[in-house]
Amino acid sequence: MPGNPIGVTQRGRAFLILDIKKSLDLHRIFLKGENMYAYIIRRLLMVIPVLLGVSIVIFFTLRVIPGDVAQTILGTSATEESLAALRGRFGLDLPVYEQYFMWISGIVIGDFGVSMRTGAEILPEIISRFAITFELTMLAAIISWIVAIPLGIIAGIRRNTKTDFSVRIISLFGVSIPNFALATILILILSLAFNYSPPVGYVGFFADPVTNLKILFLPAFVLGTAMAGAVMRMTRSSILEILRQDFIRTVRAKGVKERIVIFNHAFKNALIPILTIIGMQVGVLLGGTVIIEQIFSLPGLGQMVLTGINQRDFTVVQGAILFIAFVFMLINLLVDLLYSYLDPRIKYK
Amino acid sequence: MYKHRKFLLILFVIAFMLFLAACSSGGNDSESAGNDESAGGAAEQVLKIANDQEPAGLDPHITPAMSSVRVYSKIYSTLVEFDENMELTPDLAEEWDWSDDTTLVFQLREGVIFHNGDEVTADDVVYSFERILDENTGSHIASYFSSIDSIEATDTFEVTFHLTGPDATILTNFTNASAAIVNESVVEENGDLQQVAVGTGPFKLEEWVPDNRVTLSKNEDYYMEGQPVLDAVEYYTMVDEAARLSAIRTGEVDMTTLTGQSAQLVDGSEGINVMEYQSLEYSYAGFDMNHEILSDEKVRQALSLATNRESIATIVWDGQATVTGPIAPSMGDWSIDVTEHELYSNDLDKARELLDDAGYPDGFAIEITTASTYDDMIDTAQLLQQQWAEIGVDVTIKQVEWGEYLDIWTNTSADILIGRNGSGSDPDRAMNYFFNSNGSANVWGFADEEYDEIVQNGKTTIDEAERHDIYTEAQNYLLDKSPNLFLVSPMNYVVARDTVENYEPYPHNSEDIMETTIN
Repeated sequence: MPGNPIGVTQRGRAFLILDIKKSLDLHRIFLKGENMYAYIIRRLLMVIPVLLGVSIVIFFTLRVIPGDVAQTILGTSATEESLAALRGRFGLDLPVYEQYFMWISGIVIGDFGVSMRTGAEILPEIISRFAITFELTMLAAIISWIVAIPLGIIAGIRRNTKTDFSVRIISLFGVSIPNFALATILILILSLAFNYSPPVGYVGFFADPVTNLKILFLPAFVLGTAMAGAVMRMTRSSILEILRQDFIRTVRAKGVKERIVIFNHAFKNALIPILTIIGMQVGVLLGGTVIIEQIFSLPGLGQMVLTGINQRDFTVVQGAILFIAFVFMLINLLVDLLYSYLDPRIKYK
Repeated sequence: MYKHRKFLLILFVIAFMLFLAACSSGGNDSESAGNDESAGGAAEQVLKIANDQEPAGLDPHITPAMSSVRVYSKIYSTLVEFDENMELTPDLAEEWDWSDDTTLVFQLREGVIFHNGDEVTADDVVYSFERILDENTGSHIASYFSSIDSIEATDTFEVTFHLTGPDATILTNFTNASAAIVNESVVEENGDLQQVAVGTGPFKLEEWVPDNRVTLSKNEDYYMEGQPVLDAVEYYTMVDEAARLSAIRTGEVDMTTLTGQSAQLVDGSEGINVMEYQSLEYSYAGFDMNHEILSDEKVRQALSLATNRESIATIVWDGQATVTGPIAPSMGDWSIDVTEHELYSNDLDKARELLDDAGYPDGFAIEITTASTYDDMIDTAQLLQQQWAEIGVDVTIKQVEWGEYLDIWTNTSADILIGRNGSGSDPDRAMNYFFNSNGSANVWGFADEEYDEIVQNGKTTIDEAERHDIYTEAQNYLLDKSPNLFLVSPMNYVVARDTVENYEPYPHNSEDIMETTIN
């Protein structure tokens, strides 16, 4: 039984040396609680050097991209004087390292600066746009879980049946079809065949939940399909793997109903790899909604980054990417902590 | 249980941090939506327009982007404007008069108020133009008014412009939406006008939600009697063409611009009007005049002869474009009939002969740079590649991203660059600004004293008939020299629901909605 010693699985549910296990558990829980806080604090502290690294990479990459900021903003009718004036206003005429220190020292005190293009404050903008991207990501994730996890389980249980093959084909489709293609196809089909298009102009969830969900459903569905494909495949293979293990045979031998075997024993243990892929997908989605937000005209964080890059609005791109990196790390931390909740054998030191 | 509670608590705290942002901004959204509803009564006339780009800011003096112009041109007024026949008509100025060749006096309309309640006086006009001409403003239209020596408020409602010399173009330049009259106190208060907008125009800025929408509401105090009819205009930013196509089909928006290809898809659909108009733009292939091969006039002429502009119109623009010279046909009788010009004859034998004379009997290899952002530019480059291969010119195409493209444009670091120019509203723009040896947008290194003299003459000649002759000569001269190959001027398309009435797009004002109603 590699990696699965008796007595430490699933809250001491099934097994032999119950008494010993209980006492061990109590001891461990105590220690673990202490360790976990230290762990979380350490992880949060680690965010700082990583963000510093991200800030350096993004700042200098943007400076290397060809295309002069002032020229891009003012267009072809700009004069030398107007270009110089704009560069002066944003310190673009200073040495690059000086520009970096000016920017990063602002970030440290929470000042993300203003957009070079519109003059608007960046941080409030990032936060309000993050809300949209976050809602979109969560909806996409929920849609994908609702579809993918049950189908994945069914496929795993009924391996090599017609059901299994259909699920595998569906998931392959989900993984393979590019988001933007599916999005455009859906928009055109709905418009041409059903004379339907989502309402224009984004409205927040708390302002008008129905319109909000109408607007977000299509993009969430498109994003959800790709994620569903990956989650479906992972659920299937993970269930297959667990079902082969000895403790499942033991549980079955005890005469436990198959439904309970699957949901209480197999599925819970299969969740770890599924969670890993979900965590990664949610992170990727957060940064990867760019094209979908553009196609569906959603004013999210991705749209902000894309517009910023096209317009060489450095301050906006830097701020937004730094923020995305921060959220990405928080999600990773959340997933790591969820591991130990799902599988108490996983300890953090 | 203890263990679980602790875990859940920590997970909850982290999840809460993530949600915090979501909730706080959700509150803002609900506020704005509340405003919307209170503004929207029973039979409100609201025109919903899909804007293909997000406005890049609303300061008329420093923002040239079309997505911005279409919004701020509704908020601000200019001194004079064009009517549908391109004749000057009063706007903020009731009358204007040349007291001599270099002194222009405007009488302002009295009783016009800014959206914040201030009255418009001569001082506002003086301030606005001083702001445009101030180097620190970095205005893209400063060059339009370079002939201004000084501006003076000669009375409460009288402004006098003193020019350094005669300038036949300046009145037309006053019609430019960017030459807007702004309010000094608003600029002082906000630094610039990118985020705020207080003008005297038919609509007021109600709200701008970035990457989402701009809402304008009717200016009840507008000085033109009975205008505008609409209660509000909403611009929705919809970058994706398919999304705009879908929204206009289903009536989610009332009006949008589309490419010719998409417009054809909805043409004839029930409830939809497709309107077309000749744009002020034209496409070109610009030559680096200091290039070893291209600096030879004969080579450029040979390339012009090898170019089949008709087929560019047919293939790149589905036939929805007109062959043009340096002044687009939408400029009316200012532009010459280029089809008569020898270099437009697509005579390949003649082209080969010229190449032979220039010392390239077997042709040469050259690179064309184009922006990957615009399909029409890529298609144009590919057609030229095929057409020029006929006379032995071997073209490689380089596609670059828009920001890099602008860099290349500025520094002329490409052999040949495909692009599009706007003709402007006065021929001086097309001829002087782009090709005078010290013209602000002459990036090609084209320097020809004789040409400079002709266009300078055009700028300072006030007599209209005489000006026509001068610009006819200038266009023919420029075609002979071919510093650029002028290709075609495309049609533009506006698609509207048939509920939108009293609306027609014109080349110099594609969004005149002053009398527009919704049924």
